[in-house]
Amino acid sequence: MFKSSRYLIAAGALLASAYAQAADTVKVGVLHSLSGTMAISETSLRDVLLFTFDEINAKGGVLGKKIEPVVVDGASNWPLFAEKATQLLEQDKVAVTFGCWTSVSRKSVLPVFEKNNGLLFYPVQYEGEEESQNVAYTAEAVNQQATPAVDYYLAEGKKKFYLLGSDYVYPQTTNLVLLEYLLSKGVPLDNIGGGFRRDGSGKIISAGKYTPFGHTDYQQIVAEIKQFAASGDACVISTLNGDTNVPFFKEYAASGLTAETCPVVSFSISEDEFRGLPADQLVGQLGCWTYFQSIDSPANKKFVADFQAWLKKTTVPGVVKEGRVTCSPMVLSYVGVYLWKAAVEKAGSFDVDKVRAAFKSGISFDGPGGRVTSQPNMHVTKNVFIGETKADGQFKIVKSFDNVYGEPWLKGKFK
Amino acid sequence: MKYIQRLLLITLLPLGVIAPAAESARATIVQAILAPDAAQTRTLITSLTGNPDEVIPPLLEAWRTDQLFIYRHGETPVPVQLTGEKDADGARAALRVDSGEPLLDAAGQPLRLASSGLKAVDHTTSLRRAMKGVLDVFDIVSPDPNRRSKAIQSFGLAQDTTKLAILLERLPRETDPRVHRALREAVALIQLKDAKDEVKLAALAELKALHTLSSTDFLQRALKEAEEKKNEPVATAAKSAMYAVESHRSTVDFLGTLFRGFSLGSILLVAALGLAITFGLMRVINMAHGEMIAVGAYTTYLVQNIFGAGVTIPFFGFSLPIPGMGLTGSAYQWYFIAALPLSFLAAAIVGIGLERSVIQWLYRRPLESLLATWGVSLILQQVFRLMFGANNVQVSSPVYLSGNWTVNDVLLGWNRVFVIGFAILIVFGMWLVLSKTSLGLLIRASMQNRQMAACMGVRTERVNMLTFGLGSGLAGLAGAFLSQIGNVGPSLGQSYIIDSFMVVVVGGVGSIAGTIISAFGIGGIDQVLQQYLPYWAPGLAWVPGIGGFLQNLAQDAAVFGKILVLGGIILFLQWKPAGLFVTRSRSLDE
Repeated sequence: MFKSSRYLIAAGALLASAYAQAADTVKVGVLHSLSGTMAISETSLRDVLLFTFDEINAKGGVLGKKIEPVVVDGASNWPLFAEKATQLLEQDKVAVTFGCWTSVSRKSVLPVFEKNNGLLFYPVQYEGEEESQNVAYTAEAVNQQATPAVDYYLAEGKKKFYLLGSDYVYPQTTNLVLLEYLLSKGVPLDNIGGGFRRDGSGKIISAGKYTPFGHTDYQQIVAEIKQFAASGDACVISTLNGDTNVPFFKEYAASGLTAETCPVVSFSISEDEFRGLPADQLVGQLGCWTYFQSIDSPANKKFVADFQAWLKKTTVPGVVKEGRVTCSPMVLSYVGVYLWKAAVEKAGSFDVDKVRAAFKSGISFDGPGGRVTSQPNMHVTKNVFIGETKADGQFKIVKSFDNVYGEPWLKGKFK
Repeated sequence: MKYIQRLLLITLLPLGVIAPAAESARATIVQAILAPDAAQTRTLITSLTGNPDEVIPPLLEAWRTDQLFIYRHGETPVPVQLTGEKDADGARAALRVDSGEPLLDAAGQPLRLASSGLKAVDHTTSLRRAMKGVLDVFDIVSPDPNRRSKAIQSFGLAQDTTKLAILLERLPRETDPRVHRALREAVALIQLKDAKDEVKLAALAELKALHTLSSTDFLQRALKEAEEKKNEPVATAAKSAMYAVESHRSTVDFLGTLFRGFSLGSILLVAALGLAITFGLMRVINMAHGEMIAVGAYTTYLVQNIFGAGVTIPFFGFSLPIPGMGLTGSAYQWYFIAALPLSFLAAAIVGIGLERSVIQWLYRRPLESLLATWGVSLILQQVFRLMFGANNVQVSSPVYLSGNWTVNDVLLGWNRVFVIGFAILIVFGMWLVLSKTSLGLLIRASMQNRQMAACMGVRTERVNMLTFGLGSGLAGLAGAFLSQIGNVGPSLGQSYIIDSFMVVVVGGVGSIAGTIISAFGIGGIDQVLQQYLPYWAPGLAWVPGIGGFLQNLAQDAAVFGKILVLGGIILFLQWKPAGLFVTRSRSLDE
């Protein structure tokens, strides 16, 4: 009897101390694929998030509380993403979650976040047509990546545009928006290549050429582009994803098409993806993001150096330390954490409703890519850069647009 | 030649085509290099257009190829060009861009500089395009017909009327037939802008005779314009010229499809030949065949790095540094030739290891061999991941495999031409081995009737091992090739295993001839479908109920083509279950 009550007291004390400890920290979710096809890209985001938490914790945390990351693995499996999101929100009761890469993973977790009134910070370029009160989109909207690239081409005197992409939601939606945008700029339908699909009434429901993930045979498509570009003034807008870029660019180079004759702008190749691409075959091709590692500013230099230093000393298992670069999704993850921190501090609370209100009121943070400001529509205003690829896998910035307002609803706006 | 070039440029001066040089070209280029912003650099470079100074082409060429650097010593930065051979420290002779003289140090001695310590003068696509505009004027009289025709073409495509005089002047003197054709086209394209109808008509007649693909857009524009102005004769001429171009295009498309079909067929063939041996002759369902391909591809990657700067492999937790030979230039380009036999050997060795450790217990038990080799395939993929990382590794194409050979607008990529030639070579080699060597005889004997062969004194175990090694080695060769065309990653083999089995099964298990025919057949049909499905799509509307659905599906030619090919194969196997060629065997158990 006596013994058992002593145990009880001990257990109670333990619980109390655990509780006290919990009071000093705030749980934050990290929801990325650490295995499966998307792991190549998403592990980098996990790494940069852990780095950011360490950086904030070293300076005293958020509202005096240390950030305690809860890292879960979505395993490139979309239903599993929803399950893991449920676990984060209902079991771990995280204050905020940073995560998701593909649009389909975001769409899978969206109902979970809406049901539990959670808050998700989403960092990867996306197709728009969505505006949830439970998602802070630090990602590039279409008008912060795709339309500036088209503007650049138009200014360069390009008249013909070939649309090419991987077959899933982001390229399909982006190309439809771009089609409308190009038409509004006076580019005739004949000058837009890749083919169209129409529904019964003749309305265009899909524009451009699409290939499945893992497609390797680009002979036919490149031959088509070669004919399309025969009379000059043509360019390619590519939303091809990951692996398929290798056979595409190899074929493109072999056909004699170059950045001078018919440049390609890719929306899915960043510095991180370059690690697996033959960079010398992409020299001069364009990329368009809201951050490049080559940005020449003290803030960016410090960020890159700090991240490299963190990589050297970190003991987190599975972190690749060699040959790391920084890229836009990584920086938007980093910026997202700081925006959340600022919103929490402005609200004086971790409560999602109060944090959201603070976020919507317009918070600014000077990140590695310049100043970012949150908007009432849960998106973020930021600078947009157009870069040319160099043989070392970095980008040379050729044009920038300042403070571009993130606008998710673009369809029907260009008429 | 230089003399003629200068003479020509001087004779052109009075035509008002080329502006006389106000300032020395060197000074302008130095100014451009040091200009604070890109737009100013571009304007300065563009201002060189028509300047006949001979120093311009080599300097701009050096700029484009990263041979110009900024040397900082003291107050003013000095742009220099590094030339000549590198010495032991990697330093080269430096020439001042502003004077063309060697850069001197304080003691008056020529300086030698290493590029690593200097800032290279950078360039962007729009600047390179501006340079091209300047160089094109020089290139019109370049001794290289390729450069001539490219320059002429760009004038034509720009419909640059100011260049018409130069082009017309060149026309009677041009001897190279290809350049002559380009000249005629450029002249006609520029004349298309002429206000007079007769000039326009003559230009249209010329374009009709030339029927080049690049004139399509211009003809379309001319037709539209003529129709708007109700100019009957011009519209008719434009229409007939367009018709000529279109019929040329369909010939090009047809020949191009044929070539692409052959090239895809060759790839399927090299990927499937090894399987034709292991599956066809030995009846072993080797699901790890794809990984043998990957072994070949990774070997190519390693050889490339050994020829270059070396590579470090994180080998199961240990770091295994492999030193490189540090070759550059043409010596480095040989890496691919060296990689071919090595990838064959590497894959053969892995294959023999697999045969000894797993497969030798599983002959005549196809289902077990399927399961076991599938396991091996997963293990090998994980090994690649541990050794080379989950990311794709970069394999660059050697110079002789990049670029293309264009015959009458049909594009023949060198890598594809090479793979076709090579496929023929391996088929021939395999035929030699199987039918002309004693090993081939033993292989055929053991595969037809193992027991009988063993009774006759054939060491069938060894023959099995060597046959499996041969099949795996062929897969390795395929991998070396595929590294030139697509990704080299841990799952490389997965994308080819299905295709390989498809080819072997359709061809008739055990028949090499069937494998060849089915590879080219499947490759050809696939390319034809990819090419023509979008054109046929509108015709699918008549299908009741699902017409619209089919139309949309057919737009995605790459996917729908594959579906149709697979469907076709299934139907074909219903009709001929044993494939194209049935092999007759004397063994009793079949």
